[in-house]
Amino acid sequence: MGNIVEMKKIRKEFPGVVACDDIDFSLREGEIHALLGENGAGKSTLTSILFGLYQADSGTISVRGKMVNISNPNVANTLGIGMVHQHFKLVHNFTVTENIILGMEPRRGLVVDTKSAAVRIRDLSRQYGLNVDPAALISEVSVGMQQRVEILKMLYRNADILIFDEPTAVLTPQEIQELMKIMQTLIAEGKSIILITHKLKEIKAVADRCTVIRRGKNVGTVSVQETSEQKLAEMMVGRQISFVVNKSEREPGETILSIRDLSVPGPTGVPAVKNLSLEIKAGEIVGLAGVDGNGQNELVEALIGLRKVSCGVIEMKGTDVCQMSIRERMEKGISYIPEDRHKYGLILDYSLQENLSLKTYYRAPFSRRGLLSRSHIRQHAERVIEDFDVRAGEGAQSQARSLSGGNQQKAIVGREFDMDPELLVAVQPTRGLDVGAIEYIHERLLEQRQRGKAVLLVSLELDEILDLSDRIAVISHGELVGVVDARDTDESEVGLMMTGIKRGEVS
Amino acid sequence: MKRLLLVMLVVTMVAAMLVGCAPKTPAPVDPGPGPTDPTPPPPPALKVGMVTDAGTIDDKSFNQGTWEGILKAAADFGLETRYLQPGGETTSFYLTEIGNLVDAGFNMIICPGFKFEEAIFEAQTLYPNTKFVILDGYPHSGDWAPAVGDNTVSIFFTEHEAGFLGGAAAAMHLKTGDVGFIGGMEIPAVQLFNWGFQQGVAYANANLGTSVTIKPENVIYQGTFYDVAAGQQLAATMYDRGVKAIFAAAGGVGVGVINEAKARASAGQEVWVVGVDVDQYSEGEYATGKSIILTSAMKGIGVAAYDMIADALADTFPGGEILTFSAENFGVGIPAENPNLDAAISAKVNELFEMMRDGTLVVSNEQGSLIK
Amino acid sequence: MKFRSGFNRKYVLSLLAVLLGLIAGAILMSSTGHNPVEGYRYLFRGGLMNLARVGNTMAIATTLILTGLSVAFAFKTGLFNIGASGQMLMGGLAATAIGLTYSWPRPVLLTAMMLAAMLAGGLWAAIAGFLKARFNVHEVVATIMLNWIAFWTIYYVIPGYFKGPFLETESRRLPAAATLRWPWLSSQFSGSYINIGIFIALAAVIVVAFVLERTTLGYELKAVGYNRHAAEAAGIKVNARMVLSMGIAGALAGLAGGVFYAGYAATMQIGILPSQGFDGIAVALLGASSPWGVWVAGLFFGVLHTGKGFMTAMTRIPPEIADTIIATIIYFAATSVLVERYWDSIDRSLSARRERRSVSKEEGGN
Repeated sequence: MGNIVEMKKIRKEFPGVVACDDIDFSLREGEIHALLGENGAGKSTLTSILFGLYQADSGTISVRGKMVNISNPNVANTLGIGMVHQHFKLVHNFTVTENIILGMEPRRGLVVDTKSAAVRIRDLSRQYGLNVDPAALISEVSVGMQQRVEILKMLYRNADILIFDEPTAVLTPQEIQELMKIMQTLIAEGKSIILITHKLKEIKAVADRCTVIRRGKNVGTVSVQETSEQKLAEMMVGRQISFVVNKSEREPGETILSIRDLSVPGPTGVPAVKNLSLEIKAGEIVGLAGVDGNGQNELVEALIGLRKVSCGVIEMKGTDVCQMSIRERMEKGISYIPEDRHKYGLILDYSLQENLSLKTYYRAPFSRRGLLSRSHIRQHAERVIEDFDVRAGEGAQSQARSLSGGNQQKAIVGREFDMDPELLVAVQPTRGLDVGAIEYIHERLLEQRQRGKAVLLVSLELDEILDLSDRIAVISHGELVGVVDARDTDESEVGLMMTGIKRGEVS
Repeated sequence: MKRLLLVMLVVTMVAAMLVGCAPKTPAPVDPGPGPTDPTPPPPPALKVGMVTDAGTIDDKSFNQGTWEGILKAAADFGLETRYLQPGGETTSFYLTEIGNLVDAGFNMIICPGFKFEEAIFEAQTLYPNTKFVILDGYPHSGDWAPAVGDNTVSIFFTEHEAGFLGGAAAAMHLKTGDVGFIGGMEIPAVQLFNWGFQQGVAYANANLGTSVTIKPENVIYQGTFYDVAAGQQLAATMYDRGVKAIFAAAGGVGVGVINEAKARASAGQEVWVVGVDVDQYSEGEYATGKSIILTSAMKGIGVAAYDMIADALADTFPGGEILTFSAENFGVGIPAENPNLDAAISAKVNELFEMMRDGTLVVSNEQGSLIK
Repeated sequence: MKFRSGFNRKYVLSLLAVLLGLIAGAILMSSTGHNPVEGYRYLFRGGLMNLARVGNTMAIATTLILTGLSVAFAFKTGLFNIGASGQMLMGGLAATAIGLTYSWPRPVLLTAMMLAAMLAGGLWAAIAGFLKARFNVHEVVATIMLNWIAFWTIYYVIPGYFKGPFLETESRRLPAAATLRWPWLSSQFSGSYINIGIFIALAAVIVVAFVLERTTLGYELKAVGYNRHAAEAAGIKVNARMVLSMGIAGALAGLAGGVFYAGYAATMQIGILPSQGFDGIAVALLGASSPWGVWVAGLFFGVLHTGKGFMTAMTRIPPEIADTIIATIIYFAATSVLVERYWDSIDRSLSARRERRSVSKEEGGN
């Protein structure tokens, strides 16, 4: 098994950052090679260079022993390199077949020959066990299926070097299992795979070798079998880390948030949350578990004030906040870490300091009589950056867009915690983050609990809910299935409840 | 701020470079031919400029008529000519272009349209060595008191006489049925066309045995001189109401009227348009030898421009005067050739024209009991 | 040359865009058989060769700066104000109405006229803002429609209430005391049309720059423009801010109408939708939507518009070609966004090549 891809001394600089610092990387034929690193470590940049999305400032790439210059993705395609991006590049109102042939439509005369394409797609799908219906509309298939369409797209283009960029970030646990199986089938059929991820479990499950990248440098390439998860994590973060969440016992205090008989309409007017009642006390973390799209978003938006409720009561420390504006609720002490940080959390074109005062700019000392005080805004930002270890190329002046995902999230967490909220609503606060950042954010959430504040943690990752929560509320189809104590439940019980089966209904 | 200053500096420098690399000729007034003219004719004493009114130079009417007169004079006398389009329809814009022409050495400037009245008023004192001709208006300072400078001639036309001839011709051709009028903006020249047209139809009904009607709803001022689509729509409505001929005194709006008529004529419907300002016969051609232009109520715009240039060359420029171009001095009329009119009708119209000239037929220039 | 901050980079890109525009115009001139050096010489001489022409350039630029500022301000809040023309008309109508009706002392009268112009333009545009906020009607559609409503409103109101004794198509001339003309200033510029409006435009630029950079209002408006979802989640009343932003943009365009109809012109004509409202879009684009950028871009366009006539008079370039040349320059100048993209890719490949060369040198040296 020789090296099918060899990248030597790859260097790439962006303003203020060295994304790749003379990285060497090689992919053997027929292996799954994991690229592990924290967000912003440079693993995506490295593969983007291989796929022709970026040009390396220096360094060489050879594919199948030949030196190549990959100036754009088309060149990569002809070299047999394919990539599944983290955000799928699919046309939603096209069928699977139409999406796959897009850009290289087979023609019969002047007509696009979708029929023969569909036959080939079905054959490929069968060969690799993908189980994709070529005639289905993309908008009607699940996220996991969309990913398989992306995989088929590569296979259809005869790619045999496959790059997967964070493929599991969007999948459910079952879908992740299936993806792992698909990857093994692909290897068996003679493909070679680069798997970009920061999830150690997955690496352990499928990868043969693992290259760890930290701050643009290759820390080392190791055999996965011979290396422990602990060791991999340490290589990635550069220090010892603990996987165990240290959670001390704490008696909950007074009721902070009280939701009673709340109903919230969804986007189409159909109730997305139905007659839901829930209480959160000071000093406790309540985890909201559920399969994605079961009313979590609507519930949170109703709490924050982004969505009108149809009936019911939301009380903060005894005051009904249902009719209050978003800002009034913020002043009542409700803080919000949104799931989609680019859409709801940050203004990417604003500087970091402007983002850090996004919720307080209107108050003294950040502004007086409508005039902004830049010095106060900067000082505040610098303090939060320091306290929350936000790393940005140009400090408080950096554009939010230029920050890595993890640092963007830290900035949001910093901003929200700095407001000293009574109730923190955190939705998927660690989504897409690396181990180091996850650990950090978990610590901060627990610290909030320790300080006697209330936290509502909404997450699709059961591990996270189980590790952090004091109580776990499970939501299914907009209804509260039940609330269980985190100490006397486990993954399987909560998992069952997520499907709508109440506690005690199964023996 | 420093950077901004730098940017401004650079812009100024680039501009200064372009300005600065002018040839060493001392004055911007350069009567000799420029380097773009490889075979220079002997430099004539008169350079004639024109500033256009609203609309383009090929508006098939006012601008074009004036410009063609200037071009004819240029061909006959060997003059340098130029027209400029102002950036807007305000005195300041007009004066800017007049200033450009003067700075470029043009010493006779012809401006078609009443909108130039105040601009000419200012220009005639600002540039006393330049001759000005204004068509359809007279210079005043905004108080409507005529103040025609010694270097200015103001020219009016008897549009009502032209309209009368068009109306009479249309009535005689149709004998019965409805005719209509579509005007541009409700300004004196257009109103006069309208009133004359109505009088011409009435005259034919009273004296020539026709019974053609003009209903009030078929007399419309569209409101602009450029809205081709609106003209087409108005015409369609009128033709649908049974109108057989429309007199369109409306610039670009009239183009829309002509387009609609052409479309209908091609489909076999009998519709007519009476053209305006210039002989629009060729504009109305929809098939070889067929045009929907019955006749045109012409204003001798080009003739006026030509005459003024000729006078200026002969040193008989009637500065300070307000001239009226009418049937009497062949300033208005209908085309000599009207392929769509019977010889008898043409003869009758010519007879009416002669009656106007000798004063036996007087067309009123006031609205009186006429529609709009 | 690498640009670290986005600020100076934008100006350089705008300059590049202008340069490209001039080159495109030159190509157009050559291809129609005219000498571009000569054409540009007369174009810029026409705009700048003496004080009177500089004054006229500034007078033309005054309106363009204000409409450009209007469009740029709306841009900042993520709104596209295509209705500056209509807002100009409403502003001009309000100013004209007051100027023709009252004979207050001049400072009072002029102040009242300009405030009325701002108010009228602001309310007019706020309608579009309201429709957007309340019914999600796209502001491009709403402002275009409002342009025509304004157009026909003028058509009815001017002949109905403010016409002169003879002419149906324009208003009475504003008395000298009700115009922004200032004999002293005109005489400083050898009798040009420059008027107090240029100072009003300057003040507007300063105020808008201050509001956008230093106030909570500007902070909120820009936040809404960049990301309305995040702004809403942060407690900013997005809809109210959009209405306000449209209102302020309209007030600026209304002011443009005020200075145009009571400064550059002294009458209001019916049947004309002022083109300066649309030119404002190009001014805003070239000025990268920054107030001082708009100031410079407005002056530049002023030179083009003023110099064009002289260029046609001095050369044999017909006015239609001249218009096309000016439009080409403006078009290219307004596409600095595209220039930015190409600049990036050129910059990238250049720096890559440079790096490669330095690397190979090092290797050769070893």
